[in-house]
Amino acid sequence: MRRLTFRRVLWVCTLQAVVLMAAVVVALKLGAVPISVTDLVFSLGRVAIGHDSELPSQFQVIVFGLRLPRIILAIFVGAALSVAGAGFQALLRNPLADPYVLGVSSGAALGAILSLIFAPEIPLVTPAAAFAGAALTIAAVYFLGRREGQLDGSTLLLGGIVMASFLSAVIMFLMTTLPGREQRGMSFWLMGDLSTPLPEEIGWVFAVGLAVGIGAIYSTAADLNLMLGGENEAVHLGVNAKRVKLVVYVAASVLTGLAVSVSGAIGYVGLLVPHALRWLVGSDYRILIPASALGGAIAVVLADTLARTIAAPTELPVGAMTAMAGAPVFIYLLRRSMR
Amino acid sequence: MPPQRIVSLAPAMTETLFALGVEERVAGVTDFCDYPPAALNKSRIGGAVNPNFEQIVALQPDLVLAQALTLNRRETVDALERLGLAVYATSASTVEGVLESTRRVGELAGAGERGERLVTQLRERLGKLKQRLEGRTPRRVLFVVWHEPLISVGRETFLGDALRLAGAESVVETKQEWPRLSLEEVVRQQPDFLVFASAHEQSVEKTLAELKERPGWRDLEAMSHHRVAIVSDAINRPAPRLVEAIEQLARQLHPGAFEEKDETRDSKPPLRPLSSAAAKARNVGAGSHR
Repeated sequence: MRRLTFRRVLWVCTLQAVVLMAAVVVALKLGAVPISVTDLVFSLGRVAIGHDSELPSQFQVIVFGLRLPRIILAIFVGAALSVAGAGFQALLRNPLADPYVLGVSSGAALGAILSLIFAPEIPLVTPAAAFAGAALTIAAVYFLGRREGQLDGSTLLLGGIVMASFLSAVIMFLMTTLPGREQRGMSFWLMGDLSTPLPEEIGWVFAVGLAVGIGAIYSTAADLNLMLGGENEAVHLGVNAKRVKLVVYVAASVLTGLAVSVSGAIGYVGLLVPHALRWLVGSDYRILIPASALGGAIAVVLADTLARTIAAPTELPVGAMTAMAGAPVFIYLLRRSMR
Repeated sequence: MPPQRIVSLAPAMTETLFALGVEERVAGVTDFCDYPPAALNKSRIGGAVNPNFEQIVALQPDLVLAQALTLNRRETVDALERLGLAVYATSASTVEGVLESTRRVGELAGAGERGERLVTQLRERLGKLKQRLEGRTPRRVLFVVWHEPLISVGRETFLGDALRLAGAESVVETKQEWPRLSLEEVVRQQPDFLVFASAHEQSVEKTLAELKERPGWRDLEAMSHHRVAIVSDAINRPAPRLVEAIEQLARQLHPGAFEEKDETRDSKPPLRPLSSAAAKARNVGAGSHR
C-alpha cells in the first residue's frame, strides 16, 4: 500500500470534485428540452451575482427547478450508496457486499407498498414509510447478526440475506393486491428512479443524514484499516472493534435507507464504485471513503443524465442504466485485477 | 379565457379533448396517445407513469389533465402542482363517472356546451342500448386482460361497469381491480363468452388459435363453440369512445337484440361464428368519433 499523505487525499478529492463539476454542467445542459451552452453559462452567471429574477421563468423552472434539484439528489444518492457499499464491504469482509445485501432495500420497498395500500392519500408518506421499513429491517437484521454479544460478519450476512428474501416474498405477495396504477409505479420504484421531483424539505433531511452518515463512517476509517489485517490483531492494537462495527453498521444502513426511500433501489453503484476506487487509490479507508462519496456522486449523475436523455422525452429508470453500464465495467475490472 | 395550452397525461384524456373539439389547444400528449391518429402529431411528454417534467414545463401548459384513479401516479400529480401548474385529475370508477368527467373536462377546457351535447348524446345511446337489452339474461363473460398469467377485471371499475351495460356479467367476483385468476376457477365457472379487447383482432385470433391447444383453455365451452367477443381497445379507456365499445360488445353478446324484426326474443339466439364478430369489430374501430 502506498503511503497516504494528506496531500494525496486532497489531490485525489480535488480531481474528483473537478470531474463532478464537469458532470454537473453536462447534466445541466442535457435534457429533453434543448438549452444552449451560452444560455446556460449566461444564466449561471446571472444566478451567481444574484440576478436570477431576470431569467425567463420557464427556463428558470427547467434548469433550476427541475434539473438542478434532480442532479443534487443524484449526487446525494450516489454518495450515500457508495459509502454505504464501502462500509458494508469492510464490515462483512466480503467483496460482494453491496448496500442492499442485508435487505435494507426490500424493507424500504415493503414500507412503501404498505403506505400505498393503507394510506395512499397522505402526501410524502411513501418516502417516510420506506425509511421506516428500512430502519425496522436494520434493527431486525442487527439482532439476527449478533454472536456472543457482538456483530459477526458471516452471521450478519446470512441473517441479512434470509431477511431480504423473506421480505421480497412478502412484497411479491402484496404486489398482487395492489391496483394496476400502483403496481406500475411500484415496479418503477423497485428499479431505481430519480424522475419524480421531490419537495425541498426532503432534500434537507437527506443532506443532514448524508453528512452524519458519511462522517460517522469516516471517523472509523483508521480503525477499519487496522481491522483489515484481522479483527483480533486490531483489538490488541487498542481498537474497540465492537464499537467500530456497530457504528459502520448503523451508519451504512441509514445511508442506504435514505437513498432507497427517495430513489428506489439503484443497483451496482454501491458495489462497483468502492471496488473501482480500491484499484485506483488503494484500500486505505481514509482516502477510500471520501473518494467513494465523490465517485458515487459522479457515477449516478452521469447514469441519470443518460437515463434522462437517451430516449427523451421518454424517461428510463436510472437503475437500468447503472446495471447495464455497471456489469460490464465490473467484469473488466475483475479480469484486469486477476492479471 | 379558456386554457390555450393543454397537456394530457393519459390516452383517455387526449381522446376526450379531441372529442370535445379542442384539439388545436392540445399542446402535449403521452407516448401512448394513439387515438385519434391526429394525436400522433402532437408533442410528446413521455409515458403516463413516468412523464418528462421538463418537457411538460417547456410546453408552458395552462391546464394539465391526468387520469388519477387508474393510470397516473399521485406523485406525478403532486409534483406538477408543486411546480405551480394547474392540474385536473379525473377519477371515474363507473361509466357514468366517465361521462361526468368528460363533461367536467369540457367545462375546464372552455368547451362546456359541446361537452354537454356530447355527454347527452352518449347518455341517449346508453339509454337506447338499455332498452334493447331489457329482459335479456346477462351473459356470463370472462374479460381477458392478459392470458398469461390470466388477468381479468374486477367489478368495481369502469370496465366492470361497462360490461354490465353491455349485457354481460363478469364471472370474476372480486374487489381487486386487475385480479389474477386461476384457469381452474374459469373452467369451473364455464363463462358463456370470452371477451378480448384489442386494436388488432388478427393478434387476438392468433392468440386464440394458440390457446385452443392448451389444457384448461380447450376445456372451456366458450372456446370450443367459438363464443368469443372481440371489442376495440377503446373499452380500456375512460373516454367517450367507451360507449361505442359497449355497443360493439352488446352486439356480439346479444345479436338477437339488434335484429329489428325478431319478435321471439329468444334468450339464446343462434351464436355467430367468430369471424363475423371480428368483422364487426373491424367496422366499429373506425366508427363515428365526432
